[in-house]
Amino acid sequence: MDGKIELVTDVATQPAAGTRANRWTNYRRAARVVLGIWRGCFAGLAAVALVTFGAFRLHLNLSTTGSLYFLIVVMVSVIWGFWEASVTSLVAVNCLNYFFVPPVLTWRVSDPQNWVALATFEITALTVSRLSTRVQGQARVEARQRMEIEKLYELSRRILLLDRRTIGPQVVALIQEIFGTESAALFDATLARLDATGSRANDLEQLARGAYFQDSTLEGQSAHASAHVLRLGSRPVGAIAICGPEVGRLTMASIASLAAIALERARSFETESRAEAARQTEQLRTAVLDSLAHAFKTPLTAIRTASSGLLEAGRLSRDDLEMAALIDERAEHLNRLTTELLQMAKIDAAEVRLRRERISVLTLIEDAVERHREQLHGRRIDVSDSASYLDVWGDRAILGMALDQFIDNASKYSTPGSSISVIAGENLGEIVIAVHNDGPPIQPADRERIFERFYRAEDSRHRAPGTGLGLSIAKKAAEAHDGRTWVISGEPGGTTFFFALPRGIKAEIRRQSGAVARQGSDR
Amino acid sequence: MQSHGKVLIVDDEISIRRALHNTLQGMGFAVDDAATGEAAMDLVGKAQYDVLLLDINMPGIGGIRACREIRRSLPRLAILMLTVRDSEEDKVAALDAGADDYITKPFHVRELAARIRAAVRRSCASTTDPDAIIRIGNIELDPARRLVRKAGGPVHLTPKEFDLLRYLMAHAGLPMMHARLLHAVWGPEYGGELEYLRTFVRQLRKKIEDDPAEPAYLLTDSHIGYRFAEATPEPVGDRT
Repeated sequence: MDGKIELVTDVATQPAAGTRANRWTNYRRAARVVLGIWRGCFAGLAAVALVTFGAFRLHLNLSTTGSLYFLIVVMVSVIWGFWEASVTSLVAVNCLNYFFVPPVLTWRVSDPQNWVALATFEITALTVSRLSTRVQGQARVEARQRMEIEKLYELSRRILLLDRRTIGPQVVALIQEIFGTESAALFDATLARLDATGSRANDLEQLARGAYFQDSTLEGQSAHASAHVLRLGSRPVGAIAICGPEVGRLTMASIASLAAIALERARSFETESRAEAARQTEQLRTAVLDSLAHAFKTPLTAIRTASSGLLEAGRLSRDDLEMAALIDERAEHLNRLTTELLQMAKIDAAEVRLRRERISVLTLIEDAVERHREQLHGRRIDVSDSASYLDVWGDRAILGMALDQFIDNASKYSTPGSSISVIAGENLGEIVIAVHNDGPPIQPADRERIFERFYRAEDSRHRAPGTGLGLSIAKKAAEAHDGRTWVISGEPGGTTFFFALPRGIKAEIRRQSGAVARQGSDR
Repeated sequence: MQSHGKVLIVDDEISIRRALHNTLQGMGFAVDDAATGEAAMDLVGKAQYDVLLLDINMPGIGGIRACREIRRSLPRLAILMLTVRDSEEDKVAALDAGADDYITKPFHVRELAARIRAAVRRSCASTTDPDAIIRIGNIELDPARRLVRKAGGPVHLTPKEFDLLRYLMAHAGLPMMHARLLHAVWGPEYGGELEYLRTFVRQLRKKIEDDPAEPAYLLTDSHIGYRFAEATPEPVGDRT
């Protein structure tokens, strides 16, 4: 979506049902026009009669009377219009001829110069009335436009002040208030919601819905009802219908644009508040996890301090030492279980929002190896050179947890002194990190299930301590990044765990680093 | 090593205080304890301690602020912070506030004792001769003559490599944050050049480690910085 608002300029189409009603309206309108003309003519003729009577009695000359007639014609054209002024001017020129051009009280004109005078009078009167009518018409149009622009401005200003929650009813109420419409209706296509006000609300609702579904401007049955499609860019998002005093076509289009913007603003506000709610949920979750960690680890700390303290003190008998060692070992197991459960919960929470950054795969691997240095017991870890050329776009902590689990697993199940290799590469659109050890094969039936929470393969239970959570953490971490995990295992190759992230993530890095490079060069 | 020191334990949890109290006392330390940061600030003003064990998460002013305040008045006191969350943020915050080291709860007492020893050594070392020869494992560093020997044989280092190694060895056993190393060795205008530091560490490892892929001396503290091993690493032959 480009957020641009396009003016709606659909070709008007008239629904068949409205035709008969429209014809009657047209008749009525024509009758009103004719009646208006008669009124103007009558007034003009009365004025002409009055001036003729006065001038004749007072024996005014031809030019004075002509000026008075001219004044009447101009005033009629200013007050009523061109047609009224034309009729008045024709009557006036005849009166001038009959009463004031010698020989008076005849239609004859003895002096040809007077023909010229009469013709000039008529032509000038017609021209002036034509001009004045046109200027007046323009002034009227401009006044109307100015008023509509003022109203539009007010509408736009007040739309910004609306409460953004339920925008529909407020927008229709505003349009009705500002433009003085009889009714107004708004159809919000995204919410499939109709809002209307005024006496003809029902008709307008139908009209607005019709306009949206036909994707074109519609005229209603009554003379001044019309519906416009609301668009954002080229995408229709709803329709608006109004009925009442005539509104200019461009104004109507602008109202539609403003309504579309109002809907979009409300929508983005809603999205924003949803994101805010998600953020708060995440904060709450982190807080709960932290206090859980505290609640579990505090007693564990006391237990381990005491048990390891007893072991170090060296005052215990052999049997007591054994028991203290048992407490210490089990407390440590409980601690590991707690840590992994909390890690799991953290990854679940991270699905809401990963803190992604660009990370070098080599750094990721080196850090994980470093964290396991103490438990390697002479096992070597070889990291492939290719890792230094690869970057991933992910959450450092969570990807780190996944690698931790793989390396932990490899060091638990391989023979001491053997080597573990970590290989990173790009394959079929994915960045793959593989951790290989020469440990015993995993039974085919177990290969899927070892990634499940709390599942431990039958033969591994006796080989190494574990919680059954580790590999499920790795799987969750991969899935949180739209990636996957799997294992290949068998004689004589040993076991290899794979962690793959989609390459789309890498494209993202390229795009970002490209943007950074561009920014750099712009400076 | 000198025989034991005086430790102040600061933790709001009484069970942890008691367990630590008894254990450390059993190991020969003189121990006091306090339940809050405020009480700790009060106590360190009255008596002289060698080590402060300070919990991060406490009611009141909390461990980080208490650490900052105490560090301001007692720059030599060894401070170890205890944290429940194994998060980089906490560790960085602790080191930034002036702690010498951190340890994640729950811990083995032996590890705690080792960290305490390293921290105490640091606070004593700063009073001793800066040109004294440092020996750790089979690495020997002579600051006055700018010489490094490994198992008796000379190791050739560039001046910057030497400075970095000297700084790390002078603070052996303690975590040194990336920014702190860059400041100390390259100058105050450095701080964010991690790749730079990484390259130097890689070079140093090639020169002083038996197996650069398995460093025994120059250890990485994930996301925090580097730490020079404080104890003598086991001879390679014993591992197999």
